Amino acid sequence: MTFYQRTIRELHQLLVDREVSSVELTESVLGQIDAVGEKTKAYLLVTRELALRQAKAADDRLRAKSDVRPLTGIPIALKDVLCVKDVVSTAGSKILKGFVPPYNATVVERLEAEGAVFLGKTNCDEFAMGSSNENSGYWPVHNPWGLDRVPGGSSGGSAAAVASGEAVAALGSDTGGSIRQPAALTGIVGFKPTYGRVSRYGLIAFASSLDQIGPMTRDVVDSAILLQAIAGHDPRDSTSSAHPVPDYFSTLRNGVRGMRLGVPKEYFVAGMEPAVEQAIRDAIRLLEQQGASIEEVSLPHSDLALPAYYIIAPAEASSNLARYDGVRYGYQAEGARNLIEEYMLTRQQGFGAEVKRRIMLGTYALSSGYYDAYYLQAQKVRTLIIEDFKQAFEKVDVLLGATSPTVAFPLGAKTQDPVAMYLNDIITIPANLGNVCGISVPCGLADGLPIGLQVIAPGFREEVALQVAYAFEAATDFRKLQSPLMRGAAA
Amino acid sequence: MPEAESELSSREVEHVARLARLGITPDEVVRYRDQLRHILTAIDALKRADTSKVPATAHPLELRNVMRDDKREASLPAEAVLKNAPSREDSYFKVKAIQ
Repeated sequence: MTFYQRTIRELHQLLVDREVSSVELTESVLGQIDAVGEKTKAYLLVTRELALRQAKAADDRLRAKSDVRPLTGIPIALKDVLCVKDVVSTAGSKILKGFVPPYNATVVERLEAEGAVFLGKTNCDEFAMGSSNENSGYWPVHNPWGLDRVPGGSSGGSAAAVASGEAVAALGSDTGGSIRQPAALTGIVGFKPTYGRVSRYGLIAFASSLDQIGPMTRDVVDSAILLQAIAGHDPRDSTSSAHPVPDYFSTLRNGVRGMRLGVPKEYFVAGMEPAVEQAIRDAIRLLEQQGASIEEVSLPHSDLALPAYYIIAPAEASSNLARYDGVRYGYQAEGARNLIEEYMLTRQQGFGAEVKRRIMLGTYALSSGYYDAYYLQAQKVRTLIIEDFKQAFEKVDVLLGATSPTVAFPLGAKTQDPVAMYLNDIITIPANLGNVCGISVPCGLADGLPIGLQVIAPGFREEVALQVAYAFEAATDFRKLQSPLMRGAAA
Repeated sequence: MPEAESELSSREVEHVARLARLGITPDEVVRYRDQLRHILTAIDALKRADTSKVPATAHPLELRNVMRDDKREASLPAEAVLKNAPSREDSYFKVKAIQ
């Protein structure tokens, strides 16, 4: 196997044993970006020089055996919503074209302290609003399993990079499914931690009560490694939790014997592809064979999650995105006669169609006369979703379902119909509103396209989600599936 | 008229765009009106949910005010903060006249 195809854990061992240097490994991954980058378009910016400089520094650490950590020397991609000091960070938006952050996101600082190598900024839907990466202000991303297919979104660039060998691992962000859904559609592992588990400082905000950063990796072990590095309280994000971070490896391999796994009947939604449903039912049966007990449960308000989300997230976005006014940073329109006109023109020219749609939807829901009917009502429904999860988790340890009701769909298939696009996130959104954690792990292929199993665990019980996901992965061969681009074949 | 949710009018779209400081062309008014109507219809189930006895969740974590010591801490230098400004004068952001 070539270096760029391997996992963090394998590469860490090779680095420690000096079987490979971080510079060689980084060159291997950069070589794969050169080979397939034009096909996937996964990156908005490749930071080649920064990566090689960090790799050299990592090699010094490895050679001196000083402060060697699990991510020392490992090449990682960062979703473009994460601020990296002195590196252009745009959130996939034209309105932030050329924006150079004066500070690092906390997760970036933590990875830097680990000695990780930054490959660049990955493409995404503009301000993380989308489920196909087609809302990028720059260009769409192509799925390494079939270049005519979307990679999912909004963290589609991070997903495609990991699935094609253009990164060993990546960070994404998940507001309504933006880590888990693209992970499912590209055959990798994507983990949305509980809100508050990972600091959002330096994450370009979409919906501040829902956004959460998380790992996108080749397997569950790597997911645990990356989460371990980024989780924990940060004084610069007052919503980051002081809840202690456990050692995710102490329970990872405990298996599922004796565990109670719940299957919400509402998660088998109308419109789910038969091959996806079959793969999920097979996955559930396999976990039962591993010694878990399976119980059907009900989350009765699941059908209200999508409607509530499409009020709450746009409402928060309309407020967050008010800052893009062409004054302090980013794009500024020319030819305005006064300040208000400059705001209007800057935002008209700088934002893409979906971002404008959500700003208007959110502004409408918050506006006088509609606030109670929409925004307040959505917040009440959010309480019902939280209660649904609480009651289910009194009976079972985790919940199982599909991540996405479909496999990757063709580029362009849903761009004209916002509502059809929103339905992609129907089974991922509840975990964001309910403030629980969810991981997507590969569980099969349908016509050569990956399917993801979603494991949802209670808030701040990431170790339980990882334990079940690992048990599933270890009992199957799905983690060995590689995209055609990763294998060096035509996609 | 809060009842007319799925009958969003062009005037309301223009009003919302103005509130959001979003320039919008006449063509876009029609397109966004139709798309927003479609979205509002699709999420109409929200309004039928019985929430008469349900408190609202504004934020998932039960946070109290988070205070820190009233101590001066290092902040970014003015130059770093101003370097991305499209228009500036000395250490100020420069804006057009407010009318």
